[in-house]
Amino acid sequence: MNRLRAWFLAPTWAANIALFLAPLAIILGYSFLTRGVYGGITPPWTGESYQRLIDPIYLAILWRSFWVAGASTALCLLLGFPLALFISRAGRHKNFYLGLVMLPFWTSFLVRTYAWMFLLRDTGLVNTFLQKLGIIHSPLPLLYNDGAVILGLVYGYLPFTVLPLYATLERLDRTLLEAAADLGAKPWAALIRITIPLSAPGIRAGAILVFIPCLGAYLTPDLLGGGKSVMIGNLIQNQFTTARDWPFGSAVSLVLMAIVMVLLFVVARGQGEDLL
Amino acid sequence: MNRRHFLLGSLAASSACSRDRRPRLNVFNWSAYIAPDTVPKFEAEFGVRVRYGIYESNEEMLARVMGGNSGWDIVFPTGYIVKPLLANGLLAPIQRALLPNLAQLEPRFQHPDWDPALNWSVPYMVTAAGIAYNRKLDPPPTSWADMWNPRLRGRMTMLDDPFDTMGAALKKLGFSVNATDPSQLDRARAEAISQKPLLRAYLNAEARDQLVSGDVLAAHMWNTTAQQAMDSSKDVGFVYPAEGYAVYPDASVILRESKRGELAHQFINFLLRPDIAAANALTARTTTTNAGARRILPPDFRDNPTLYPGPDVVARGEWAITLDPVTQRLRDRLWTEIKAA
Amino acid sequence: MKPRGTGLALYAIGAYLFLHLPLLILSLFSFNSSRFTVWEGFSLRWYSAALHDTQLTESALNSLIIAVVATLVSTVLGTLCAYGLWKRNSRPLAGSLYLSLVTPEIVTGISLLAFYQWIFRFLRVQLGMHTVILAHVSFSIAYVVIVVIARLRTVDATLEEAALDLGANEWQAFRYVTLPAILPGVIAAALLAFTVSFDDYVITSLVAGVDSETLPMVIYAIARRGVNPIVNAISALIVIGFGSLVLISERLRTT
Repeated sequence: MNRLRAWFLAPTWAANIALFLAPLAIILGYSFLTRGVYGGITPPWTGESYQRLIDPIYLAILWRSFWVAGASTALCLLLGFPLALFISRAGRHKNFYLGLVMLPFWTSFLVRTYAWMFLLRDTGLVNTFLQKLGIIHSPLPLLYNDGAVILGLVYGYLPFTVLPLYATLERLDRTLLEAAADLGAKPWAALIRITIPLSAPGIRAGAILVFIPCLGAYLTPDLLGGGKSVMIGNLIQNQFTTARDWPFGSAVSLVLMAIVMVLLFVVARGQGEDLL
Repeated sequence: MNRRHFLLGSLAASSACSRDRRPRLNVFNWSAYIAPDTVPKFEAEFGVRVRYGIYESNEEMLARVMGGNSGWDIVFPTGYIVKPLLANGLLAPIQRALLPNLAQLEPRFQHPDWDPALNWSVPYMVTAAGIAYNRKLDPPPTSWADMWNPRLRGRMTMLDDPFDTMGAALKKLGFSVNATDPSQLDRARAEAISQKPLLRAYLNAEARDQLVSGDVLAAHMWNTTAQQAMDSSKDVGFVYPAEGYAVYPDASVILRESKRGELAHQFINFLLRPDIAAANALTARTTTTNAGARRILPPDFRDNPTLYPGPDVVARGEWAITLDPVTQRLRDRLWTEIKAA
Repeated sequence: MKPRGTGLALYAIGAYLFLHLPLLILSLFSFNSSRFTVWEGFSLRWYSAALHDTQLTESALNSLIIAVVATLVSTVLGTLCAYGLWKRNSRPLAGSLYLSLVTPEIVTGISLLAFYQWIFRFLRVQLGMHTVILAHVSFSIAYVVIVVIARLRTVDATLEEAALDLGANEWQAFRYVTLPAILPGVIAAALLAFTVSFDDYVITSLVAGVDSETLPMVIYAIARRGVNPIVNAISALIVIGFGSLVLISERLRTT
C-alpha cells in the first residue's frame, strides 16, 4: 500500500517543491541581496530591503490594502449572507440557485473586472443613465478610486462567501429555530441570536477565502484604481517589472506571505477542521 | 485503430503541419510607432517572418530585456537608455558595413551624444513630451504649472514614466530635466506627490483614447501620441510648456542574445530607407531622424507645429541624457515613492 | 416566516441581478454598431474584427494549447495525489498544497519568474510556452486535488477492500474500482483546471516569453487603453464558452 501511495504522491511533491517551494526560497534569498544598478541582483547580503519597508509610505500601502480587503470582505459577507440564506431555504431548486451564483464566477475574472470599467467610466452606462434621469448633470468620477476597486473586488469574490455560508446554513438544525419560535421569539431575533452565531464557521471560512486574495489583489486595483490606488500586489508587481528592484519586491512579497500565513493559522485554530 | 496508433499518428501530423519554416525576427517597439505596411513589406521583400511586439514604456521593455534571455532581437530604447544597456552587456555591436542607408540620417544624428560613432545604436525617431488638452478648457494650459491647477481634478493624467513625470516637476521648479542634485530631486518628488490628488491616473499612450472621448481634459503626453489624438478629434490641442520640455531621440539596438544578427541589420537598414522612414513618420505621426525621409514628406506634415516646431519652441527643449548610476538609483527609488504615495 | 420569505426572495433577485447584469450588459453592447455607450444599432462588426485580428487569434490558440497541456498534466498528477491523500493524509503535502492555493497570485508569479531567471543561468533556456505551462501546472494541481478528494469522500472505501480480498493488487483496485467511480469528479476537476488556466493573467504575464502571449494578456493590453467594443465581443464569447464548460462540469460532478 505504502509503495503505491508513495508513487502517487511523488510527482505532486516534485511539482510542488520545484514550482512552489523552491521559487519561494529563491525570493527569500533575493530579499536579502542588493539591487544591481539597472536591475538584477548583486551581493552584498543585507537586510536593507526589509528596513525600507518600515517607511510610512509603504506602511500606508499596507494599511490601505488591509482596509480595502477588509471592506470588500465585510461587504461580501453582508451581501452574501442573505443570499446564502435564501438558497438554503429554496428546497428543490437549491442546486440551480447555487449554480446561478457560481456561473459568473467561472467566467473570466479579467472580463468581470473589465465589465466595471465599461459601466463606471465617465461616458459609461451608469453615468449616462443618471444623467438621462436628470439626477446628475456632469459625470461622476466613479472609476479610478478605492470605491471602484472595492466594488470590483466584491463583485469578483461574492461567490466565495456564498458557498461556505450556504454550506453551514444548510446544515443548520431547523428544530432550533422552531423551538425559538415556540418560545415566542420573533424571526429577526431568531436570526440574530441563533442563525448567525451558528454560522460562524461559514463566516470564518468565507472571510478568509475573500480577505486573502483581496489583500494580494493586483488586477482589480490596476484596472479600476487607475494606478493610483496602489495596493501591496501592485507594489510587488511594480518592483519586479518597471522598478526592477527585485530585492525590495521579494521582501514585500515575503511580508505578505507572512501575513497570509498568520491569518491562516489564526483561522485554522478557530476552525479545527482539516484544511483540505 | 487503437489508442497508441492514434496518439502516434496525431504527433506525426502535428509535427508535419508545424509552424512557419521561414527565418523569424523578433522586434519589440513602442506602440503605434511604425507604419502598418512596413513590417509586411519587409517580410515580403526578404522572405522572412517578423514577430512584432509593443510596449508602452522604457521600463516595460527593460524589465523584459534585462535578463538577457527575453527572446527579442531588436528593441528601441530611448537614447539615454542605450548606455545602461551597453553597461549591462546586453547589446550586440552594429556593423556599419551592413547598413549602407546610414548615410540617410541627418548630420546631427550621425553623431548623437549617447553613441557618437553609432557603434551600438541607430537613431529612429524623436519624441518630446508636452501637454495635450481638450479645447473646452478655457484658458488652455500653457505651462507645467497648469497641470497642478485644481480645475483639472480627476480629469488629468501624467505619463507613467519616471523620467517624464519627474522631469515635468523639475521643469515646473525651474530645474533641468537631467538634474542630479538630490535636494532638487527631492523637491520634484514632493511636487509630484502634491499633484496626486488631482491625478486621474498615470497613463502613457493609453490616455489618448480617453482624451479623444472627453474623459480626460489635460494629459501629459508625448507629441506623437498627441498628434494621433488630434487626428481623431478637432477638440484636442497640444502645447510645449513655457518652462521647457524634454526631448527624447530613440534608436534601434540589436540585443546580444539575438542569433539573427544579419537579419536584424537588414531590418534596421530597411527602416533607414527614405521611403520607409517617411511612411513610418507619417503614419505614426512622429519626427523623423532621417534626412532623406524628411525631404519627401508632404509639406503640410513637414511644417506641422506639433512634430516639427519652430525655432523658438525648439530652443526651450532639453535633450534627455544618461544619468550616473547613483542618481539613477535615487531617481528609481523616488519614483517608487511617488507611485506609492 | 412568510413575510420574511418574500423579502428574502426580493433580495435574492436583486443580488442575482447584481451578479449577472454587468456581464449581460457587456455582451449586449458587443452587438452595438457604435463604439460609444449610445446604442446605435445591431452589428456584428466587433466580432468580425475580433476574429480577424491575428494577435487575438494567435493568443487564443496559445491559451488553448497551454490550458490543454497544463490541464492534462495537473489532472493526472492531482488525481493521483488526491487518491494518495485519501488513503492516508500527509499533513506537509496537504498544507503545502493549501498554501499554494491561498498564496496571492502576484507572489506565485514573481517567485516563479525569479526561479526561472535563476535557472536560466545554468540552462540555455528562455521564457516561453514551457515556462507558462509549468507555472499553470503548479497552481492547478491544488484545485484538482480539492475536487477529486471531495469526490473520493463520497466513495465507499470498502469497495476497494473487497477487490483486494478478491485477489486484485492495489493498482488494479485503484484502476478498476475507484477510478471509474470518481471519473465524473476527475473530469469536473479537469474542466476547473482548464478554466483556471485559460483565464489566468497575473502569473502568465510575468513568465510568458516572446512567443507565448495568451488571450488574457492581449485583452488586458487592450483594456488598459480604455474601453473597446472588441473586448466586449471577446468577453461575450468567453462567458459563453466558460459558462458551457462550467455547466457540463457541474452536471458531471453531481451525477
